[in-house]
Amino acid sequence: MPNAAQWVQERLPVSGDQLRELTNEPVPYHLKRWWFALGGTPAYLFVVQIITGILLAFYYEAAAASAYDSVRYITEEAAFGWYIRSVHKWAATLMIAAVILHQMRVYFTGAYRKPREINWMVGMLLLICTLMTGFTGYSLVYEQLSFWGATVGANIADTVPYIGGFIKNMMLAGETYNEHTLSRFFVLHAAVLPATMVLLIAIHIMIIRLQGITEFQFEDEKVGPKKTFNFFPDHLYTELMIGLLLMIVLSALATIFPATMGPPADPLVTPEVIKPEWFFYVAFRWLKLFTGTAAVLSMGFIVFTMFAWPFIDDWIRRKTRFQEASVWIGIAGVFAIVALTIWEAVVRH
Amino acid sequence: MTLETKRLIIAALGGLFLLSLVFVQWMETARKAEEAGLREAHVAVPASSKACVDCHVQANPGIVDHWQGSTHAEKGVACVECHQAAEKDADAFPHYGVTIATIVTPRDCSRCHTKEGEQFAASHHAAGGNILASLDNFLAETVEGARMNFNPHSPTPGKAVESVNGFASAFSGCQQCHGSKVALQSTDGEMITVDDLAPDADGLPTNLDAVGKIVRNDNGRPLFHPGTWPNTGIGRLNLDGSRGSCSACHSRHDFSPRRARQPENCGKCHLGPDHPQKEIFEESKHGVAYRDLKDDLNLDGETWVLGQDYSAAPTCATCHMSGHLRNGGEVTHDPGERISWTNRPPVSLVMDTDIHHAIVKETDPDKRRALIYDSAENKRDRMKQVCSHCHTPDYINAFYTQYDDLVILYNEKFAKPGQAIMAALVNEGLRTSTQFDEEIEWTWFYLWHHEGRRARHGASMMAPDYTHWHGMYEVAERFYMELIPQALEMADHAAETGKRAQARAVRTVVADILARPEHAWFEGGAEGEMAKIRAEMEKRYGQGKDGP
Repeated sequence: MPNAAQWVQERLPVSGDQLRELTNEPVPYHLKRWWFALGGTPAYLFVVQIITGILLAFYYEAAAASAYDSVRYITEEAAFGWYIRSVHKWAATLMIAAVILHQMRVYFTGAYRKPREINWMVGMLLLICTLMTGFTGYSLVYEQLSFWGATVGANIADTVPYIGGFIKNMMLAGETYNEHTLSRFFVLHAAVLPATMVLLIAIHIMIIRLQGITEFQFEDEKVGPKKTFNFFPDHLYTELMIGLLLMIVLSALATIFPATMGPPADPLVTPEVIKPEWFFYVAFRWLKLFTGTAAVLSMGFIVFTMFAWPFIDDWIRRKTRFQEASVWIGIAGVFAIVALTIWEAVVRH
Repeated sequence: MTLETKRLIIAALGGLFLLSLVFVQWMETARKAEEAGLREAHVAVPASSKACVDCHVQANPGIVDHWQGSTHAEKGVACVECHQAAEKDADAFPHYGVTIATIVTPRDCSRCHTKEGEQFAASHHAAGGNILASLDNFLAETVEGARMNFNPHSPTPGKAVESVNGFASAFSGCQQCHGSKVALQSTDGEMITVDDLAPDADGLPTNLDAVGKIVRNDNGRPLFHPGTWPNTGIGRLNLDGSRGSCSACHSRHDFSPRRARQPENCGKCHLGPDHPQKEIFEESKHGVAYRDLKDDLNLDGETWVLGQDYSAAPTCATCHMSGHLRNGGEVTHDPGERISWTNRPPVSLVMDTDIHHAIVKETDPDKRRALIYDSAENKRDRMKQVCSHCHTPDYINAFYTQYDDLVILYNEKFAKPGQAIMAALVNEGLRTSTQFDEEIEWTWFYLWHHEGRRARHGASMMAPDYTHWHGMYEVAERFYMELIPQALEMADHAAETGKRAQARAVRTVVADILARPEHAWFEGGAEGEMAKIRAEMEKRYGQGKDGP
């Protein structure tokens, strides 16, 4: 009787050695430092979001009449509903934080430079998708802040010249928030954006594999022979450690600070204070500082600059003597983001 | 880091994660068990009350069991926290090393529930004990009973009745809702009440002579007058000068918010011939919805905010006391805060109140405006906020028009004329100043106190049967068939006994009233009115020939 491995191999003609070779690319030694493994963290959290999201979707109803009550049912009645929902909420927060940290690491180590410009832009797309997923997810609860957050978001989009009205219409499935809006948000949140992200993540990793992980030379390291270590099992262990730590942190956050329910959406009553999730504070403050079309356009310009940064940086390095201008610009950018976020967090309106 | 170290860390983290999942599972199981009633909610017995619980679980297991199901028990608020007393309190006594008092007053509850205490103290509920000197009181103490003990009529076989307590009807009747004047037994056979103790701002008695006369048992426990205690009347006059009893609505010892949210709770007092609010509610669409949808009302919710925690149906608490989305979920313990008419007196008054929460009776517009601290309009706006969770502004405003019109119709057509006739009879000396000794006084009492209130309360809570058949129909019948004939008969009798001028004066008042257009049908006849109604019916429904 042929053994199981042989049975499989006859049908899937890939040997264990081939698999090992495929995965076992030598990993640069700097990846032993945990902060260089921050790319795996959002990917890991993304998987958590997919799994918990599917579980939540079993009960969630994307209709204005029943959305809030279905979330309430998940939170208060369904078995482990509170835990799953809380983990989903906290993993979203951590994922956005991890994406931002990962991007900062890439930025400050100059890992976006030639030949990795395309991967930087893929990463930017992933950041935007992550934020949009956060925004659409926030709106699904259909509590007061969800409803008004979506309304404010659509109104902001409306101020974009020429195409603003179209974007708003596409977002809300009509001129104003209506019975189709929630299902549109749900499809975006649970299908379109995750599918796009899966594709982008695949491209992101493929490019990394094709180009190899960025090599770094640290000043305090002696120049010596290139040191690497095995992806399997060594680097996988590092990722596993981060993953397990994340699960513990998520469980702790879910039990200590479980997701709650605000008042249900009331289209007739505008809440006194409308605030988006923390990751939009910076944009929200910016919009308050420079109201109207100017604010939206300037924000669009900033996003475009971030997209094109590898090329802008390259131009600066070629045309000027400021070789590491990007570091100082980055520091200024981080300070600006932190300052605007804190500003928005501390003010009531 | 070596691979071996990594493996160890992964094992540790994996174990920790597994533990966290076990913890989550434990929380989930505990939650489900509590929800299913299989496990008692967590109870924290503070050290101060451990001895009380251990002993009273034998002596009064019901009390302890109720308390264990309460939020108080979850939060570690137990016997001593509520029953503790200052040594100088009139009703304090040492009990196994702790100084306690039997009766927990709003002053005691206010130690933690300060805002609730203040709102309640400002409410009409807290003034419920004012009945102790009212017409109703006279009925119970004098007409139904006697303001004394008297000898029994004849022996009662099997029961040695030596003396009849004339106050029994007041004690067991009126005062159970309105509140008793709590009294301690005095060594001289009298009662010691708050009036005798003259408590200071802290509720401690200042008249030590009275304190010295308190009858105590061998353990030093003061003895209450059994007519005045037990009592959970809403306006109870307590020995410490506070008014009311929180357990009137929040029945002890579980102080269940669930119960306070249900109309049955209010129905202990708000029912019966003179103010059948509970029956009125039951007849209304609100009450019908409540009975049908009670299970959807989230009555056990930690908060109970209309529009957030429930919207299936309103209860008394919903409209008069509970929080809602429009007011940020604020509960009020002053149920008058949202009431714009008082339908209690013979003639309804607009509920403009002064700084002392008393109804402004000033008629001069400028003086009146200066006195108003919280206007009826404000109160109505607060109620409208509640209504607007389920009704549109047009609907609400039109309802209030209907309500106002009914109250004003009652006031103008029956109550004010009735008052004028009753006043004329007294002014002309045709009736005595003693209440209820003449037939017409019973007639008038029925008219406003029973039927008139029913009509007005029926309209206030959308109960058509109470507004009409138990209300205005009976008011009208009482007015035309009893009050007017009785007044005229008294005038005739006066004329026969030589009081012609007085009789004429009363007849003039009655004639002036009946000459008004709204009463013209009574003596002038209403021929043609039925024909008009029938024609209208025919126009509206295409029938009417065989109508009633």
